[in-house]
Amino acid sequence: MSSGASPETARTTPSSAGVKRLLARTLRHLSRAALGALGVLLVTFTLIHLIPGDPVEILLGDAATEELVAKYRQILGLEGSLPQQFARYLASVAQGDLGTSIQTGQSVNSVVARTLPMTAWLIGVTVLMALLMALPLGVAAALLRGTWFDHAFRVATSVSLATPSFYFGLLLILLFAVRLGWAPVAGYQPGFPGNLQYLWLPALTMSGALVPILARVLQSSIAETMEQEFVETAIVRGLPAPVLVWRYLLRPSLAPTISLLGYILGQLLSATVVVEIVFNLPGMGTALVVEGVLLRDYPVVQGIILIFALIVVAVSFLSDTVSGWLDPRTRLS
Amino acid sequence: MEAESPILRVENLCIGVPRRRRGLLSIVDTADFQLRRHQALGVVGESGSGKTMLCRALMGTLRRHGAGVASGRILYRERDLAGAGEKVWRRIRGRRIGYVPQSSLAGLNPVLTVRTQLTEAIHAAREASATEAEDQALQLLELVRIPRSGQVLEMRSHELSGGMRQRVMIAAALAQEPEILIADEPTTALDVTIQREILNLINRLRERLKMALIFVSHDLAVIEEVCDSVMVMYAGASVEIGPLEAVVRHPRHPYTRALLASRVDLAVPGEDLETIPGDPASVGAWPSGCRFRPRCPLAEDDCREGVQPPLAPAGLQRTACLHHDRMGCDP
Ligand SMILES: Nc1ncnc2c1ncn2[C@@H]1O[C@H](COP(=O)(O)OP(=O)(O)O)[C@@H](O)[C@H]1O
Ligand SMILES: [Mg+2]
Repeated sequence: MSSGASPETARTTPSSAGVKRLLARTLRHLSRAALGALGVLLVTFTLIHLIPGDPVEILLGDAATEELVAKYRQILGLEGSLPQQFARYLASVAQGDLGTSIQTGQSVNSVVARTLPMTAWLIGVTVLMALLMALPLGVAAALLRGTWFDHAFRVATSVSLATPSFYFGLLLILLFAVRLGWAPVAGYQPGFPGNLQYLWLPALTMSGALVPILARVLQSSIAETMEQEFVETAIVRGLPAPVLVWRYLLRPSLAPTISLLGYILGQLLSATVVVEIVFNLPGMGTALVVEGVLLRDYPVVQGIILIFALIVVAVSFLSDTVSGWLDPRTRLS
Repeated sequence: MEAESPILRVENLCIGVPRRRRGLLSIVDTADFQLRRHQALGVVGESGSGKTMLCRALMGTLRRHGAGVASGRILYRERDLAGAGEKVWRRIRGRRIGYVPQSSLAGLNPVLTVRTQLTEAIHAAREASATEAEDQALQLLELVRIPRSGQVLEMRSHELSGGMRQRVMIAAALAQEPEILIADEPTTALDVTIQREILNLINRLRERLKMALIFVSHDLAVIEEVCDSVMVMYAGASVEIGPLEAVVRHPRHPYTRALLASRVDLAVPGEDLETIPGDPASVGAWPSGCRFRPRCPLAEDDCREGVQPPLAPAGLQRTACLHHDRMGCDP
């Protein structure tokens, strides 16, 4: 029961433990990322070679001779057995080289460098918009449980959950771009903040799928938090309403919402592909379909899917970090 | 003169839960007591007798639990709080009446540090700079005898033992220097040795801060450690109230006597512990007349009639028993 330690030492001890925890968590995520990437590469490699249609024949056309085809195979690294091809591909990816496009001869790295920024912007703006809408909605729905607002909230979220994002996107284009003229119908121009003009409508489209899920999860986790003893304590201490709502209702309830956001962003990436095509945005999704899949350009498809997989891992690391900061209980496990 | 007038007067307070179509379900009625400055009142009764609901009425949080004040008055400094709105209660809670709720071991916010929870309570009461508030938070931790207070300030609930959490809860309840402290079963979930420490702490704090105390427990022995008067509750009613000494020495309600007789701490080893015959009356199934009647050795026909008898109108030691004059000859 001695009170030996000074406040100074008291403060350094937990933070150095915190650094150690952060390191351990980073390592865990990195190893998970490496394993995940390997799995993704293996699966896409296998799948893409199962699809009928030979890229070299598409490239050269019907008139090509046997020798020409064989020569091109060699140039493109498509000779040998599939395991041999895969091993060669892995080795080059490990060195940071995603290969060369069969159709255009460009390096896949340059395709990614050209299209990644736009897609990253799209995801970023979507997440921000989704949170900005979902947080107030979820809080209001939890606080106004059982009122008309709650009922309207339920109906609206069900409807928007059931609407496919491409359909929703077309409706938004019709309304905001064609009717009201508030946004360009399609296209993109890089450079912040000018790019937001092109991004807000696609981001809104994708939020249409995100907001209902996030707001509902938030509503039910706030409702759970409200039953907790510590909320009663906060009330009997006479704490002001903003402190009550943010620190005692929202913050303990946010972690599940943020974790879920990290998790469904994986699915959101497939929505990115659709939305980019609907809005004619030159991002990774468009490149994947137009330059990759349709032309059987294996290296492009594989390279972009690998980058998508890495984005999923990065996002889950980020959401893990944020929910750990919001709620130290989740750091225990 | 001023010191003589009570700061809190609860008159015939009835608490009920409104039910659809079937009217009001009474949970507490005829709660009746006064609290003078610096007085320590114990509230004792079996679990389910309505002690916690009474505390919630005094903190204005009944509505959160689906209940409300049905009738009666809660006079704080001559102001009736029974029907007060949230705005009034916000100025009372924490600032005038501090509360350490039951199951307060789960009462700390798991995502906030002790520092945040203490300083925000301090800020709720008065303007203070960040360093002022932090200094006061440290002082509060020292006041409740927490060692290594600088370290504890940075901790969260899961890093603290039960006794420590209870101390922090008490510190937070004291942060705004309330006139009255209400502690609902503050030692029930703790080990015996920790119980002792918390009781000593509460005694010392009351001396030092000159607060009035309402101390709720199902255990009379614990109440004897800290209180100078006691109110006994049975099935939502005050059945006896008076100075602790008097009530313990000469109980004037058969239920009080039964409580005293069943005390574990006074049991003789080897002998059977005396228990109260019958089951406690449960909410919604209170018998007519005196609620203790089915279990009472003194019961007569007139105990059956009407409603629960109120506390005798006069005297220091007041009882609700119609036949208390026969208590002496029937030990
Ligand atoms: N919202 C409610 N609806 C119905 N009954 C309730 C409600 N809240 C509490 N009660 C009942 O009120 C009685 C008194 O509870 P409580 O005040 O917690 O007792 P104590 O603190 O003395 O153990 C209990 O029997 C409990 O079941
Ligand atoms: Mg209780």
